[in-house]
Amino acid sequence: MSRLRALVASVLVLVARLAVAAPLPEAGYGLPRDVSRDGHHVDALIHFTMAAATVIFVIVLAAMLWAIVRHGRSHQAVPEHGSRATVGLLVATLVVIGVAVDGSMLVKTLIDMNEVFWNFESADRQPGAIRIEINAHQWAWTARYPGPDGIFGTADDVVTTNDIRIPLDRPIVLQLASTDVIHSFYLPNFRVKRDAMPGMVNALWFQAEKTGEYEIGCAQHCGPNHYKMRGVLTVLKPDEYDRWITDMAADARRAYDAGDKEAHWAWEWRRNM
Amino acid sequence: MAVPAEVLIAEQAQPIHQEPTSFWRKYVFSIDHKMIAKQFLWSGCIFLLLGGVLAMMIRWQWAFPYRKIPLVGELLLPRSGGIIGPADYQQVFTTHGLIMIFFAVTPVLIGAFGNFLIPLQIGARDMAFPKLNMYSYWSFFLSQLLVLASFFASLGSGGAGWTTYPPLSTNVGTPGAGQSLLVLAIFVTGVSSTMGAINYVTTVIRLRAPGMTYRRLPLTMWGLWLTAILNALFVPVLGAAGLLLLFDRQFGTQFFVAGASAVRGGGDPILFQHLFWIFGHPEVYIMILPAWGIVGDVVSFFARKPHHWYKGSAGAMIAVTVLSAMVYGHHMYVTGMSPLLGQGFMVFTLAISLPSMIIVLNWLWTIWKGSIRLELPMLFALATMILFGIGGLTGLFLGDISMDLYLHDTMFVVGHFHFTMAAGSIVGAMTGIYFWFPKMFGKKLDTRLGQIHFWFTFLGLLAVFLGQLATGYAGQQRRLFDPYQYTFIQGLHGLNLATSIAAFILFLGQLAFVVNFFKTIFSKEKDREQNPWQVGTLEWTACSSPPAYHNFDHIPQVLRGPHELSDPEVMKVLDRDWVGQAEPLPQGTAGARA
Repeated sequence: MSRLRALVASVLVLVARLAVAAPLPEAGYGLPRDVSRDGHHVDALIHFTMAAATVIFVIVLAAMLWAIVRHGRSHQAVPEHGSRATVGLLVATLVVIGVAVDGSMLVKTLIDMNEVFWNFESADRQPGAIRIEINAHQWAWTARYPGPDGIFGTADDVVTTNDIRIPLDRPIVLQLASTDVIHSFYLPNFRVKRDAMPGMVNALWFQAEKTGEYEIGCAQHCGPNHYKMRGVLTVLKPDEYDRWITDMAADARRAYDAGDKEAHWAWEWRRNM
Repeated sequence: MAVPAEVLIAEQAQPIHQEPTSFWRKYVFSIDHKMIAKQFLWSGCIFLLLGGVLAMMIRWQWAFPYRKIPLVGELLLPRSGGIIGPADYQQVFTTHGLIMIFFAVTPVLIGAFGNFLIPLQIGARDMAFPKLNMYSYWSFFLSQLLVLASFFASLGSGGAGWTTYPPLSTNVGTPGAGQSLLVLAIFVTGVSSTMGAINYVTTVIRLRAPGMTYRRLPLTMWGLWLTAILNALFVPVLGAAGLLLLFDRQFGTQFFVAGASAVRGGGDPILFQHLFWIFGHPEVYIMILPAWGIVGDVVSFFARKPHHWYKGSAGAMIAVTVLSAMVYGHHMYVTGMSPLLGQGFMVFTLAISLPSMIIVLNWLWTIWKGSIRLELPMLFALATMILFGIGGLTGLFLGDISMDLYLHDTMFVVGHFHFTMAAGSIVGAMTGIYFWFPKMFGKKLDTRLGQIHFWFTFLGLLAVFLGQLATGYAGQQRRLFDPYQYTFIQGLHGLNLATSIAAFILFLGQLAFVVNFFKTIFSKEKDREQNPWQVGTLEWTACSSPPAYHNFDHIPQVLRGPHELSDPEVMKVLDRDWVGQAEPLPQGTAGARA
């Protein structure tokens, strides 16, 4: 009996702790903290769909349980193949769900995609946009910044591995490619993801609103060490970022070796993605 | 009463053959659809167990990473003494997916039920092409042997995931004979499925008994027939893609190779994804349509009430079949496809949710105002309704491009497709096994053990797959050998551990089914009830249990639909609430509506 009481108590404590803690993966459940300018569009859709799905599920389940309890063995079955009224009610339910749920999801998504997530050109055109080329390979993310001259493939390019630093409040435009197999560049805290494909250049853009260190994940199985393909994205204050990139570019110029062809992967920035 | 001319023609077209007496012809190289169905059932159930063991290994790794698997560890992984390594892990999840989809669920739902039920439910003496049927099983058996052989290759089995995306699945990413054997197995099982599909489609079109119009087909027949059409259309595409991939691996072609390893020009990895998913998305409907059909019939039978809006359900199944190949692009939203194409696929994906909803709502309307009997098949059918319902609703998130940006390739996807393909299809198949077991083996499965199996299965699947959804919602990617390399996933260890424990309990609960299955088959008692569920379809009312070699002594003349239950006219005349599909009512009565 005391063991049972202890079990009940520990479950209650657990529930209370989960209820008090902010829902975060670090606390055991819930969406990761959103630190991007546009991630709230995704979260709003997730919350809307979750609410709609829950309402539909609960109503259907309640009707099902009602039927099981009230229309059991002792209830005389009504030999109906479906009358105009019952079919009409079913179709009406369908139309309501179709318009209210599917319809509003579609409209919201089309607006979000066209205005924000897949609108790479307008992000790229903004003054102050940061351009980074990412070359994914088994099992790391190599990033290339164009350096002060703004051109990729020159001596002042800054190249880092699994360490991407970006400034606050400026559009970050990434172009992704892969050397070997397919990888997928995934930023849980920014609600974005895009595949890095061999033989192809893909784009991705986002903007950070909070400083800090955030994780970069690989979302596409890319071999036995897929789980180790983790990088860190550091969001810096603009002046810190400027200092960092200037120092790095100076280092890069000093270390530049024209003969090291392997190190000179880069592509001309694609303007119409 | 004179025998109608169309029945005589049908009798002539399908003469009665003598049952073979030799062991080989009767039990091994049999051309009898009922024996072939049992062969598929055995093959499928054994691989279901194998796939289940592999799933437990994945769950073990996420609950207790780097720890030795207790009891059976050394047996499963002799080289490492029972500890799962990253290379083992990728083989485990790759073969888990492939085995469950192609070598466990497909043979049970389509191979076993398709073969067993199609002739019996439409009133035929065998399939249209009995020999092709035998070839279909034995080529399937060969493909299973190829899968088993892959485990003994020097570098182990394949590890490129069940989707086998190149370039990872080429020699660049996965060298060794194991992956080649797996791709070959997919090709061979594709050949088997294609042969089966041609046979099913032809049989339903050509061999329906007189009076068995399309509107009188049981919904199970609709499900299996439409599945066969999808198989015939799209499995060859997979076969072609598999063959090209095999050329890339074995003969140095470069259809799908790009990047640094494309030394001779190279090809296009995306092309493979298009070929794979134009098969792969219909495949999920291939796996769910038979289950939909079975559940549709069973809810009607055990609510003792005709199926609500039969035409709507059959029509919705046709609509899903037509739309199924037009939505496949939603698997590729993050590959960098053109926004216009992505939006098109999204519109179709949202559209396909509507006919699926008609099917589920029709089940609900069917049990409403019925006289519900909570016998074992009905319990499993209602569970399928709930579990598939969650699977369908979570699909809304993933069909949407914005949400897919975050949720794609996370555990949320894993939870979603397990609710549809594992819970929906497998519990749907269990519904069928409990329902038709008396027809196959002449005896009913034990109720008590069946109920134990039911609660373990229903609650277990619910807990495990909800756990998957929750970790994916929190951002955990799929296919991570050690998810806790990521700081943000370290907090999810509790959730993963709880999910794993639920999975182990679920797995142990299946023991109740295994015990029940063998106990019933080997029991001496012979209660050969002709029609234990008191329903009207042909397999229960027009032939014996288990059926004779030639199924029907006389080809039945079908008079009415499959769900004519609780008809007041019939109850008055026959004093029971069911009537056989081919059972004539005494002269002078108005007769049940057809």
